[in-house]
Amino acid sequence: MYFKGINSYGDRGMVLDFGDDSSKSISIEVNKAFSTISNLGLPLLNIIPSFNKIVIIFENSQIRDQNKEKITLEMSEIKSQSYKSANKTWKIPACYDESFALDLKLIQRLHQITKEEIINLHTSESYYTYYIGFMPGFPYLGDIHSQLITPRLATPRINIPARSIGIAKNHTCIYPKISPGGWNIIGQIPFDIFDLQNPNPSLFLPGDKVSFYSVNHKEFQQIQKKHFSINELIKEYSS
Amino acid sequence: MNSLVITRTGTHLTVQDFGRFHYQHLGVSPSGAMDQRIIKELEKIIPLHHNQFIEFAYVGPSIKVKEGSVKICVGGNCNMNIQKNNGTQIMCQPYKSINLFEGDELNIHNTIETVYGYIAVEHGLGLNPCLKSFSTDTRAGIGSINRPLKVDDTFEILEDVSSWDHLSIPNPTYKKETNFKVYPGPQLQFFTDQALQSFISNTFTISAQSDRMGIRLKGEAILSSESHDILSEGILPGSIQVPSDGQPIVLMRDIPCTGGYPKIAILKEKDISKISQLPPGSQITFDLQTIY
Repeated sequence: MYFKGINSYGDRGMVLDFGDDSSKSISIEVNKAFSTISNLGLPLLNIIPSFNKIVIIFENSQIRDQNKEKITLEMSEIKSQSYKSANKTWKIPACYDESFALDLKLIQRLHQITKEEIINLHTSESYYTYYIGFMPGFPYLGDIHSQLITPRLATPRINIPARSIGIAKNHTCIYPKISPGGWNIIGQIPFDIFDLQNPNPSLFLPGDKVSFYSVNHKEFQQIQKKHFSINELIKEYSS
Repeated sequence: MNSLVITRTGTHLTVQDFGRFHYQHLGVSPSGAMDQRIIKELEKIIPLHHNQFIEFAYVGPSIKVKEGSVKICVGGNCNMNIQKNNGTQIMCQPYKSINLFEGDELNIHNTIETVYGYIAVEHGLGLNPCLKSFSTDTRAGIGSINRPLKVDDTFEILEDVSSWDHLSIPNPTYKKETNFKVYPGPQLQFFTDQALQSFISNTFTISAQSDRMGIRLKGEAILSSESHDILSEGILPGSIQVPSDGQPIVLMRDIPCTGGYPKIAILKEKDISKISQLPPGSQITFDLQTIY
């Protein structure tokens, strides 16, 4: 157990503390707690998991304090509870063509490896979805192979194209829409991962497993043309 | 059919409500009206607002009835008048219902010694919710209308005005507060007693670079003895984060969903509305409340 305790955060928030470090095993515990508390049906406004914290916000301090005990109790029992994960396993097509991979050359130079090696390393791992943040639907995935670990760009780009795949430090990500950002761009996926028209707008959820497989430009365009909805993507690319 | 058209936008014109909740774990900010007290007051005059309020900052918009008639009410401390269809001009006041007929144009000039004002329209603006809320987050491109409002934006209001009777409430008197009692932030221990002492004894000035995402403060730098870079974690509106330049930022309604700066303190929920109304140049101080 990494769980340390619950602290108040202002007059209507609380923080579940899982220490100061970050690792996949901490994150698995965080996301198990996130999923369990989300399903308790508590009158909360938002519950936000991250690497080693869960922040919960209630309407006011009274409701927060009334629910603190329930959450404390749940956290004390969570270790012994068997946990049926509702998380999905994704296999996502990715095109690493130079037209999309804006920083591939930079990474090749930095690590003295070939384009093929980068693709092999990026597609050989199954990544864990630490959490969704930074912008709507943006998944923090990790950990990438140690040979691919790359610092953020010294000067962030003003416009990163939507659907771009990035790497920074030991994480990889997908930009749901055009955005400024400092991740190194190595490819692109052929569909949107966030849909405002869907009541469940995000393709990925905290705790999901995600791996990529390489497709060529022609295959990429064929998938792109299908304009899959979130529900169709779930059928097509997850298990 | 009744319709309203924007003929002049003023500044920062967006549609807002009481906030968008249950999506922050997917990277979606709560947004909502900066000063929630005002839309709550407007509810007393326009109960059928359908959660669709127009928010403006500093300079209000002009809106004209294109077709039919509408009942509206303006909230906030502002100057305004109505240019009637027949050429006459009449004065009008906030917190009093206003009946507008075809060709009438409401001109909201400016907010007085405050920042935000609101317009409530009976039966709403004819919009559909986006992720269960009408609020606009212009940075994330989320909302019933996912951008600031523009000239010629037209709202169609299907239902007719329920009653022409005039309703009004006394102008709420919001005392201008500049001293805020704050709770300790999650990274309070990142700051030495000396830094905390400066935080509560110094005066900060609200910078002009403030917006719906955050109010930037200028003052003597408050520096962390540990780090200004933490692992990103969930953040709440009202949090006071301190980046490495030592100039605190009070996070507001269009909050980034997670943040990597240490948070020295957090405002009380009701003070978020209060601080939002302080114009740039205002001087504020903090008091740290240690017991919950």
